[in-house]
Amino acid sequence: MSWPTVKLTLRLRLPMAVSAAVGLIAVQLAVGALFPAVGHSIGKLNIPKGVAQLLGGADYGTITGWFRSEIASVYGPLVVGALAIIGAAATTAGEEQDRIAALVLTHPIARSQLVAAKALAVGLSALIIVFGGWVGMIAGVALGGGGISLAHITALAIELAAFGLAAGAVSLAVAAGTGQRSLATGIAAAVGIGGWLINGFAPLVSGLSWLKYLSLFYYYGAHDPLTRGLGIADTAILLALALLLTVVAMVGINRRDIRG
Amino acid sequence: MSTAPAIEITGLSKDYGSGRGLFNLDLQIYPGEVFGFLGPNGAGKSTTMRLLLNLIAPTAGSAKLLGLDTVADSLAIRRRLGYLPGDFAMYPKLTGRAMLEYLAQLRGGVDLAVRDGLAERFNAELDRPIHELSTGNRQKLGLIQAFMHEPELLILDEPIAGLDPLVQQSFHALLKEVSGEGRTVLLSSHTLSEVERVTHRLAILRQGRLVVVDSLENLRQVAVQRLEIEFTTPVAPAEFSKLPGVTAVKADGRTLTIAFEGSADPVIKALAAHEVRAVRPGDENLEEIFLRYYRPDTAAS
Repeated sequence: MSWPTVKLTLRLRLPMAVSAAVGLIAVQLAVGALFPAVGHSIGKLNIPKGVAQLLGGADYGTITGWFRSEIASVYGPLVVGALAIIGAAATTAGEEQDRIAALVLTHPIARSQLVAAKALAVGLSALIIVFGGWVGMIAGVALGGGGISLAHITALAIELAAFGLAAGAVSLAVAAGTGQRSLATGIAAAVGIGGWLINGFAPLVSGLSWLKYLSLFYYYGAHDPLTRGLGIADTAILLALALLLTVVAMVGINRRDIRG
Repeated sequence: MSTAPAIEITGLSKDYGSGRGLFNLDLQIYPGEVFGFLGPNGAGKSTTMRLLLNLIAPTAGSAKLLGLDTVADSLAIRRRLGYLPGDFAMYPKLTGRAMLEYLAQLRGGVDLAVRDGLAERFNAELDRPIHELSTGNRQKLGLIQAFMHEPELLILDEPIAGLDPLVQQSFHALLKEVSGEGRTVLLSSHTLSEVERVTHRLAILRQGRLVVVDSLENLRQVAVQRLEIEFTTPVAPAEFSKLPGVTAVKADGRTLTIAFEGSADPVIKALAAHEVRAVRPGDENLEEIFLRYYRPDTAAS
């Protein structure tokens, strides 16, 4: 592991990670503050099952449902996933396209070490964002009158972190394997958004319901951490996938020419 | 030479298709040499350097740097090597100092006094973000990072690009010191005067193939020679332009400048028919040598 690379990459990613964390806190404070007014007036929306699934059940009558729909199902994974995807692509393929990687790799650092260091730094920056989300949810729930335990909020944060690492690792594997920033971002985003839609709609079609197992969102949200606590098996699958894709990235960058 | 080459390239090729790349390069560069790589864009200079650095994989052939295989022993080589890319780039938000610290940490064992000495020598700005620096000031950082660990071997792609003449002078002095210490330098350049000034030997590449490799002194011997002859009365250039070996004749009043290849005998004998006031030898420069190797008929040979 190249610790100078981890340190520098984290330092360069820190402003974005802190901004996202602060944004997550602010949004959840607003969500919490709105619950007393919105929760009693909207309640449970009568919308199609697939759409409700996409929105985490669309139950706005309870604070758990409200936070699940507003934060856990869409906003949280969107922010954490997007920044992990962008960060992984930018710090590997992006730096290669900017001709920085070629210079760094003329120093005594193996390509796989470089990729591992970038993966760790991007993973740590994703954890900073998740930490902001955790703090924000605790504060938001308190502002909304309470009702979700700290253990369940922590369970969601852990699952969100695992989701972010897996989404980032998809981007990392493509970026390291191809050296193409836009390709990596595009494929990882397609995997994320496609997975979100599949997770919502595939279960409605009996012949296609198996597709949900291909979605990162299935392993992230299926266990409903805000109600049932941490889904250990699902979280382990996401973390194992993140690890596997990081290894793929480390192997992939060794099999091609470096630009610059 | 009896010492082992610092760079030994054997049949090295990188085929990008459509005739682009590097083809079957054989070359030895010895310790203490400053070796110049000449050629226009796309000639294969940077490709050769990137192959030596193991940034790209060869299609065929192999190379050894400091006795180590460029592919199998790449990490060990990189500990002992300094490199300046042709288009030096770094994290734009970092200051030069932070960037050099990062690269020094990657290497380990960099003497900060050497780094600071180089910064002083090149008058480099270390405390401004890189994106605020001019091309020349960025290039200074590139040179510092290449030299700061006092490597045994330096690979420099267009090292003086963007540097002002004073810094160029400092850089050339540094090259002489490095060479004097027995360290080896491979540099590429479009600036022929630079290659002429600092290199012991040079190679000319054309379309990915080695055209010639020799010392400048030897290349001069086979190059076009020029004589500037001042007559007492004007002489018609046509009288000389038809002589064997003569490639060009330029008239300026009573003075003719005659360029020729091979023996000077036909020119001297023709001069005997006229009253000559003065004969001045023209010192053929590297540009003429370079262009000679880029003429289609020479390239074919």
